[in-house]
Amino acid sequence: MLSLEISSSCFNQETKLLAFEPSRKDMDEVEEKSKEVINVTTEKLPVDEVLQLVISPLCGAVSLFVGTTRNNFEGRKVISLEYEAYLPMAENEVKKICTVFHGLGLVPPSEASIISAVSSAHRAASLEAVSYAIDTLKAKLPIWQKEIYEESSSWKGNRVLWGIQQ
Amino acid sequence: VVEVLYFAKSAEITGLRSETISVPQEIKALQLWKEIETRHPGLADVRNQIIFAVRQEYVELGDQLLLLQPGDEIAVIPPISGG
Repeated sequence: MLSLEISSSCFNQETKLLAFEPSRKDMDEVEEKSKEVINVTTEKLPVDEVLQLVISPLCGAVSLFVGTTRNNFEGRKVISLEYEAYLPMAENEVKKICTVFHGLGLVPPSEASIISAVSSAHRAASLEAVSYAIDTLKAKLPIWQKEIYEESSSWKGNRVLWGIQQ
Repeated sequence: VVEVLYFAKSAEITGLRSETISVPQEIKALQLWKEIETRHPGLADVRNQIIFAVRQEYVELGDQLLLLQPGDEIAVIPPISGG
């Protein structure tokens, strides 16, 4: 249950990371990468680490999308986002697509909630792929965000899930 | 006997993250929902927004016949908002 007591200690709470990697990248010539599932850290989502996971001597381009928490929604001050996930299913959905780090638990404003990265031989493919990846992930992943305001909170929801109207 | 997993709003309504329930091996998705709603009447508020994930595949709350095995996982999926 969500505690409505918002204090500065919330922002020291451990942010869990969800790290998904494809075991095979769908690119020209691929490398096998080992798969990490969950990484627990007090630090922010590691852009450098994500880059290192996708950079390859075979690829001339890396495209990165970083989603960050905004501090406002419809005129209300957002204290933080809080994420939860159906982990085994999210992992299975994502690993076909790209390398993704997603925050779990509290993600305060200006921090990254999601990083997705795709590398390719040339830039057009990776730019297009990362755009496709983030669109697909948002339409399909069983992950939920709750906006936490000063006085209340609200579960956000996209009412079309992978083509199904909810 | 299957395991039902609750997320987001549905977890707040039921006060549970998961529970095991006993249902027929063959059951329509909507019937399964009604079973769950009987146990947690507060879920009626979100009935029109829920989808199941049965063995990690999304299934609408309709007439689709589910063939359930003991220990299968059924997740109650409110509208998603990852990213």
